[in-house]
Amino acid sequence: MKETPEQVIDRSAKIVVSFFVASAGLWLLAAALLAYVAAAKLTDPFFLSSYEFFTYGKIKIAQANAFVYGWGGNSIFAVTLWIIARLSQVEIRGRILLLFSGVIWNMAISFGLLGILDGHMNSHEMLEMPTIVWPALFISYAIFAFLALVIHRSRKNPNTIAPQWFILASLIWFPALFLIAWNGLEINPARGTLPSVLSLWFGQSLIWLWLTPMALGAAYYIIPSIIGKAIDKYYLAIFGFWCIAALAPWSVVHHLEGGPVPMWIPAVGTVMSIAMIFPIAVASTNFHATAFRDIGKVWNNLPLRFVIFGTISYTLSSYIGVIFSLPDVAKLTQFSIINEFHFNQRVYGFFSMIIFGMVYHMLPKITGKEIGKSAKSFHFWTSAFGVLILLLAYLIGGLTHGVLAQQTSLDWSSSVITSVQPYFKITKYAFVILGLSQLVFVINVWKVIFPNPFAALFESDIEKKEKTA
Amino acid sequence: MNNIFKFSFGILSTLAFAWLAFVVGANLQYGDLSPESQILEDDGSRPPDAELFPKDMSGIAKQGAEEYLSLGCVTCHTQQVRLFTKKGPNGNRVIEAGIDIERGWGKRASMARDYVLQDHVMLGNTRVGPDLANFGMNENDQNWLHQHLFEPQSLVPDSICPPSPFLYEVSDQPKDGTISVLPPVGSSGDENKTRYIIPSIRANRIVAYLRALKQDYELPESPFVETDEKTIETNTTVIEGIPDWVNYPASPKALADISEQMSAGKEVYTKIGPGGGGCVTCHQPTGLGVPLAFPPLAASDWVKGDKDRLIKISLFGLMGEIEVNGVNYNGVMTAPGIPPGSLTDQQIADVLTFVRNSWGNSASAVSPAEVAEIRDSIKDRAPMQMWTAAELSSHSKQVQ
Ligand code: HEC
Ligand code: HEC
Repeated sequence: MKETPEQVIDRSAKIVVSFFVASAGLWLLAAALLAYVAAAKLTDPFFLSSYEFFTYGKIKIAQANAFVYGWGGNSIFAVTLWIIARLSQVEIRGRILLLFSGVIWNMAISFGLLGILDGHMNSHEMLEMPTIVWPALFISYAIFAFLALVIHRSRKNPNTIAPQWFILASLIWFPALFLIAWNGLEINPARGTLPSVLSLWFGQSLIWLWLTPMALGAAYYIIPSIIGKAIDKYYLAIFGFWCIAALAPWSVVHHLEGGPVPMWIPAVGTVMSIAMIFPIAVASTNFHATAFRDIGKVWNNLPLRFVIFGTISYTLSSYIGVIFSLPDVAKLTQFSIINEFHFNQRVYGFFSMIIFGMVYHMLPKITGKEIGKSAKSFHFWTSAFGVLILLLAYLIGGLTHGVLAQQTSLDWSSSVITSVQPYFKITKYAFVILGLSQLVFVINVWKVIFPNPFAALFESDIEKKEKTA
Repeated sequence: MNNIFKFSFGILSTLAFAWLAFVVGANLQYGDLSPESQILEDDGSRPPDAELFPKDMSGIAKQGAEEYLSLGCVTCHTQQVRLFTKKGPNGNRVIEAGIDIERGWGKRASMARDYVLQDHVMLGNTRVGPDLANFGMNENDQNWLHQHLFEPQSLVPDSICPPSPFLYEVSDQPKDGTISVLPPVGSSGDENKTRYIIPSIRANRIVAYLRALKQDYELPESPFVETDEKTIETNTTVIEGIPDWVNYPASPKALADISEQMSAGKEVYTKIGPGGGGCVTCHQPTGLGVPLAFPPLAASDWVKGDKDRLIKISLFGLMGEIEVNGVNYNGVMTAPGIPPGSLTDQQIADVLTFVRNSWGNSASAVSPAEVAEIRDSIKDRAPMQMWTAAELSSHSKQVQ
């Protein structure tokens, strides 16, 4: 039997992509565990309190880093490679080097997280890992990005399409952001609140310019390929892309409203955040107008269901984000746990859901094995339910927190925080549900990646029974 | 879009614009800020021999900043006092009631200049705990800070500030230099034991850092703001001719007499810590108490009525059956204050004036002299011996 070109590509991707997906899964579990511990500490401050290693601040920051760099980074590697290779119609080359960069990346993060827990934290948002691991992170990413670009450059069809723009942009933006931050924070550090502005800009841009375009690119790829129809109003996509490129790096600084920085910084941020409604509308039209031509398929095809959950979540969360960037609202909620809402909405409700869909779409193709339908479906429903509860709790809790904090007659601990306490409890349970759901995901994935040595035993068992029957 | 080099150039230049503004531009604008005198002469020059602010922190406080950073305290505590401005009637900018300032987190807005000497600026972005930019201004007692760092729950009921027992050596016997820590508020049973702690060097650093956090000086771009709500809204003055983002009003004079007692009283009422009254933990911010457990102060005849009786229970506490607003309570209130019975005449006068004129109550103010007189008249009473309702009514008869 002769292999189709797609099968050749998938075979070339098998080891590398499986490696990245498998490690992404482990990081996801680590992050889930840390998230639970942090949430449990908010409801019971004495939980594990006698170990310095587990003090709340460290756990919380380690969690965000494990989630973004561990799970986010590895899954970006996997999905980028596969989509770029498929769209370029060439095999993945430099596989040893890719694996090498992956190993370095994961080791750097492991050391970085241990460094945080051991007390060598940095004060920069999303760059809290000790400075010594940054070069390793950067170099391993650079190797990966270079090899991915080489694949792209040898593509068969010179014309590029939307998924390629978004994914390549995310590929290039991350090291650029990183260099800017590194230069401004470590090499030529400025004084006073300037590094705070820069690190806030980096931390938020990381989500807007690395995770977001990646997930959007994946959605642009997978929706038409499963539905079997071209993207509706595709001519808008290019406009949406450049809007994000032009506006997103400006819009993220609205978080500094009223802070000790020049007033033009948050003001620019607010204006640009409002302008972001255009690219959001474009992506949302492209995705949903295409997908909802065939609702049945969205419902029945599990990968697509994940992706559409992600894109709807993207649309909603981005609009909610615009509302919360208006100065009058920001004043109320800026320092409340609404920040957790924004973070989880982007990284979980949007990015991760799309990645889950992508992984379920590509793994069977790569490994030639199917993933159990009910296991996938269990994963979807627990994830969807868990995320929804989590986000609702943070949203309502955040509003409560913000509004009560303005009531100066209310005592901080006994009134304001006590009123937010029930929402902390809910998030704790939501993290339990999500942890369970992620465990199922990882089992699903590992089962197809690593053939079960006992499988043969079970099979023969069943066969024997069949024979006797 | 098809040429990867042109494409990269395009997407990197959008990033470069933002970088030019937020890094290069901001650096040009205020990268060279340096300490300044509190006020400038009319022509904008610095008065000769003026003291410059902010001042550098002591070495141990700077080490404390590193510890504070490594424990991730910044995940829950911000260090920035905000103040918002809005368009005034004449198109000027006027300040709005500053919530952070009303909460007592500072006397003015934090400015970029306040941070220029800090190695680690930890502005933070979430306030699960209160803002700490000016925490050192409270002049908290060192022991209180150690007790709080060791176990916040021993001082603040249900606090979710994480305990850091790993920074202390703990024993159950008092020794030289130990600080005693009470069991968590509201705990019972076996845990109900006092612990004695010796701070490690790291704990001392953190405490030094917390005490060094203060923006208690004025800056030309940020004078102190009056905290009384009424004054902020009505007496706002506007300085013209300076950029928007430094446009804050000069301090209006505080309102006279009772408002001073009211705000001091509010502080006694709400402050949970040494020197405070901590009434809020039981009688609640709303003054409504907790059904069945703590009686309301709002609309209570005990509060609005006879001053003598009110002063007496504020000095020695109250227990046994009482009736408030037609409901019976049978609880125990030890002599108010932290530690019990420690409130001064002035504080008692202030807090009583405050409770007599809040939540819809309206009654005459209480003066420190009145408190002193009553304190004197019952000076033979055994310390900490709480009153009962019956005793109070017979007592007042005897005196008459
Ligand atoms: C889980 C979030 C959280 C973390 C992490 C946290 N705190 Fe707190 N902190 C609080 C809360 C809530 C309060 C208010 C209740 C209280 O006073 O205990 C508070 C209060 C405080 C206060 C008293 C403030 C006042 O105005 O009375 C100090 C001082 C303090 N924290 C220091 C620290 C230090 C030092 C750390 C790092 C070791 C830290 N906090 C970490 C939540 C947190
Ligand atoms: C430990 C909790 C607690 C604290 C703190 C506390 N109280 Fe009370 N208070 C009580 C209880 C319980 C009673 C009812 C006593 C009884 O049943 O005999 C009471 C009764 C009163 C009463 C009379 C009944 C009424 O509701 O009018 C007044 C007045 C009062 N407290 C004022 C104060 C003031 C002022 C402070 C702060 C300086 C304060 N309390 C602090 C628990 C407390």
